Amino acid sequence: MKSLRALHVGLRLAATVLIGLLAMTASGVQAGDGLRIATAYKLMTLDPHYANLNENTSLLSQIYERLVFQDEELQLQPGLAVGWEAVSTTSWMFKLRADVRFHDGSPFTAEDVVYTVERIRDQLKSPSGGYRSYVSAIKSVSVVDPLAVVFKTDGSVPNLPLALSSVFIMKKPVQGFATTEALNGGMAPNGTGPYRFEGWASGEYLQLAANTDYWAGAPAWPDVTIRVIESPAARVAAITTGEVDVADALPARDVAALKKRGVKIASVGAARINFLQFEMESHTLPGVTDKAGAAIANPFRKLAVRQALALATDRGILVDKILAGYGTAAAQVFPNGLPGTSDKLLPIAPDVTTAKKLLAEAGYPDGFRVLLAGPAGRYPGDSESLQAITQNWARIGITVEPQAVPFSVFNTKRAAGEYGLWYGGASGEAVDIILDALLASPDKARGTGALNFGHYRNATFNAMLSKAESIEAGPVRDAALADATEFVMADLPIIPLYHFHHVTGYGPRIGAYLMHPRGWTTAMQAEPAQE
Amino acid sequence: MKAIVLRILLQRPGLDRTAGLFRLRLRAGGSQIVLAAFVLVAILAPLISPQNPYDPLQVLGWDASSPPGTVGSGGYAYILGTDGLGRDILSTIFYGLRISLVVSIVSSLAAAMIGLAAGVTAAYFGRWIDAVIMRLVDLQLSLPTILVALIAIVTLGPGVDRIILALIIVQWAVYARMVRGVALSETRKSYMDAAQLLRMPTLRILLRHLLPNSIAPALTLLPIEIGHAIALEATLSFLGLGVPLDKPSLGSAVANGFQYLMTGQYWISLFPGLALLCLVASINFVGDDLRRRLDPRSAAR
Amino acid sequence: MYWATIASGRLAQAALLLLAMSLIAFIGIHSIGNPVFNVVNIETATAEDIRQATTALGLDQPVWKQYFLFLSNIVRGEFGTSYIYHQPAVDLVLGKLPATLELAVFAMLVAAPVGVGLGLLAGRNEGSAFDRVVLRFCVLVASVPSFWLSMMLILGLAVLAGWLPSGGRGDSMLAFGQEWSVLTGDGLRHIILPALALALPNIALICRLARAGTIEVQGQEFTRFCRAKGLSARRILMRHTLPNISIPIVTIIALQFGGMLAFAVVVETIFAWPGVGKLLIDSIQLLDRPVVMATLTFVAVAFVTLNALVDLLYAILDPRVRLS
Repeated sequence: MKSLRALHVGLRLAATVLIGLLAMTASGVQAGDGLRIATAYKLMTLDPHYANLNENTSLLSQIYERLVFQDEELQLQPGLAVGWEAVSTTSWMFKLRADVRFHDGSPFTAEDVVYTVERIRDQLKSPSGGYRSYVSAIKSVSVVDPLAVVFKTDGSVPNLPLALSSVFIMKKPVQGFATTEALNGGMAPNGTGPYRFEGWASGEYLQLAANTDYWAGAPAWPDVTIRVIESPAARVAAITTGEVDVADALPARDVAALKKRGVKIASVGAARINFLQFEMESHTLPGVTDKAGAAIANPFRKLAVRQALALATDRGILVDKILAGYGTAAAQVFPNGLPGTSDKLLPIAPDVTTAKKLLAEAGYPDGFRVLLAGPAGRYPGDSESLQAITQNWARIGITVEPQAVPFSVFNTKRAAGEYGLWYGGASGEAVDIILDALLASPDKARGTGALNFGHYRNATFNAMLSKAESIEAGPVRDAALADATEFVMADLPIIPLYHFHHVTGYGPRIGAYLMHPRGWTTAMQAEPAQE
Repeated sequence: MKAIVLRILLQRPGLDRTAGLFRLRLRAGGSQIVLAAFVLVAILAPLISPQNPYDPLQVLGWDASSPPGTVGSGGYAYILGTDGLGRDILSTIFYGLRISLVVSIVSSLAAAMIGLAAGVTAAYFGRWIDAVIMRLVDLQLSLPTILVALIAIVTLGPGVDRIILALIIVQWAVYARMVRGVALSETRKSYMDAAQLLRMPTLRILLRHLLPNSIAPALTLLPIEIGHAIALEATLSFLGLGVPLDKPSLGSAVANGFQYLMTGQYWISLFPGLALLCLVASINFVGDDLRRRLDPRSAAR
Repeated sequence: MYWATIASGRLAQAALLLLAMSLIAFIGIHSIGNPVFNVVNIETATAEDIRQATTALGLDQPVWKQYFLFLSNIVRGEFGTSYIYHQPAVDLVLGKLPATLELAVFAMLVAAPVGVGLGLLAGRNEGSAFDRVVLRFCVLVASVPSFWLSMMLILGLAVLAGWLPSGGRGDSMLAFGQEWSVLTGDGLRHIILPALALALPNIALICRLARAGTIEVQGQEFTRFCRAKGLSARRILMRHTLPNISIPIVTIIALQFGGMLAFAVVVETIFAWPGVGKLLIDSIQLLDRPVVMATLTFVAVAFVTLNALVDLLYAILDPRVRLS
């Protein structure tokens, strides 16, 4: 019966411990000098070339740097390269920054650039393969002098500097190449960035310390702790209670309450779009029937139907109610004002009467039934949008069955052609990259149409787009891209819904937080408050 | 009202004798009345709700997130406010009750019947039949509920009927294990030997003797499992695997409200949450009561 | 010999269980969707990227081939590499184990004594006001879905009152080669809320069981005999009642502990607690099959071990029970 005595003792012990713990809770949260960030981005690997996902790149950009980086206006700025120029139609010369040192003290030279490109292109067998597309057009890289490299390309690649703005430069090892396994386990990441790697746990936290030898001067924070908190509610709670100084990807609906509690908010329209996309090639569609449930021909092939649906969609509800004002009604792939956008394209105002008329003219006076698929919890307002559109379209007689499923399931089914209509999202470095993926005809050789699951084909648009892409970066190229966008949007191959805003909250220890439309979260964006 | 409660809890053929016994003994307690009220509201939902929250034409997006008491553009007051899409919370509770009750009761009853059959079969035949069934039960109970439900729902596709199926798959093993234990001790009693000696047909022994005598544990488990099923459906909804988006159950109404918990829009999750709590609690209280009556020892007292 | 027979029986059972479970989970995950869409950036990847990734992950093979490959790797003790994190799946699971272990132990250390204590007292005073309050409390707590309970705890104690952190694991300390957060003050503050959310339903469960057992035992001859003998109420309770009700309680504690280890999915998700349960639900949603399989195997092993322990305890607590 010893177990009983143990139980008895245990009971008393537990009570004592509990009381002690409750007493401890009275003490407040202590804060050091360091910056504490709560992020939704789960850092999955320390290999900067392993997967082309914001989840990795955002946090790794504190440790590693690129030759060129995109500023808040999405304009290219010198990073590890101080200048670049096209020396011929098929070669680019990049001048490198002098006196840059890696965290291990070794100098940054042209050899490292060559190594980086070769590592991605030839050596790394990453299943995601995401970075290979940025360097696939590079035929060779050669060292001109320790601070200059020349890239030779297959044909003309006017946006090579943009492609390189995604590529993190790694230190060339004495021999061989650094494997992903080595980088993830033990081998400290060695970059040139403002913060040095201190420690991490995959999907949990990343610990950084200031790189006091940073070429642009020592960074603002002596150390940085980044905690991965995937639950939005938990991030909201963490910034509310002051456990962290910065919390990213906050739900817009929580902003009002956060402001009331003294949390400051920074936001910016995301360089991305959420839209509805139709299957436009096949003549019959899964999930589309008449009101009685009998199969009908694909209604989305008719422009009048697409116009009617666009007119029936009330973006005001999406932006003002669902995104609580932290969103912009969309008319094209990037928010108006960013390079390559057209200022003539404005969001379509809802007009139920005209929509009904168009629908009747197209041969659907009684409307039809349609399954609207979308991912659940992937983008701000995704599943809510499905339901708001259900309400909108009911007013012109279209019965929508909204269906939100996990992102991977959504992608599997979409790729398998099981959907006729869906809600999707697209992002990229520039307008042309989204246009290429989303609206250009699927073409393996050109690498276009990866997101064109609707099989939209428009030869005139393809030609306009490739012509614009052959122009070197600048206002002329941007104007040509805007023209192409205007042309294709008139045909409504997608119904643009909104550009959500990236919303970040910050506490009293932060003076200002500079938002980036690509949605990055870094310590460099947080400026300490003046004491 | 008593009759409603009983019919819901004891809807099963072959139970009339037992049910009659209880009908005599049932007295109206507080939880019985609450539960009956819930059932009544669920049945009458279309008649007493100010809005049909499942009709996209009646839900007005611009009225989204109205606080309790707001008079909406439909001309009627949102007594408990609206959710993030403009659905009247009160109406959502009424309609959600129906789905939650139907899903949980149907799935629990079906699971109980399957479990009963499996448990009695395992106990009576023993040997490899017992081994196979019980290994299946072990397997079932060692897999995470959420994984079973996820796989079931994704493979089957979305929809209320699929959720019921998923909940049956999740629940049957509990009954099977419990019933087998009781049935096993019953098979060792002398009346079973007598039945076998009399060369009664196996099916007859199973149905007329073993089953009625092993039914008590399944019955006591039923209310608890109905409560579990409601909570489980709510949890599935919380993880994004529940009932269809545009037809929220009580559980998914609560889950929807969680996103708004820290926004000050407390009403979206609070009221459906309280309704859910009262519903499950009243089921559990009524279940406790039933169990006390069922227990032969306490009955003898 | 006796013990060896039991052990080998258990092992065979466990192996069978593992095999069946792995097959179901494998096919289940396969039917859900293609993990390749979580590996590449779907918004930028080309069809060629997707094809290459599919080959690199071995997903271009037929399912049965993939399954046999998986089995043969298991025999060699390899669960494969996570699709998403590109780390050995076993390392990922083991890395999350301390967090889950300390949460579950902590929660059970609260739940077991409190639940047993309340149950004994309530059962001894059956029908009293105290008993009714305890009973009502138990039913109410058991009626709350755990995600609602967790959020209410966060809202009340973290957001409104500001006493405790709302989520995460807090500072940890290195011991036995792993990071443990219960060893630091900050870590302790972080563990209270999730542990409470896990403990409350278990308190209710254990309490009800203890109460029912106490009532039953008190109606039996030997308790009356004890009372007639003039033993103090306290002595009867601790020395005679408790041992007699301990079997179901030990069972439920062990089973619930196993459940906490693996299925604290909801609580771990809401409190951003980086444990095995959260890893499992994340991996399922990301279709990270190697990690799902490794986690499930761990769960099954934990269950079988716990069940064996329960049987062992049975034998110790109740000499009448013989293992078979």
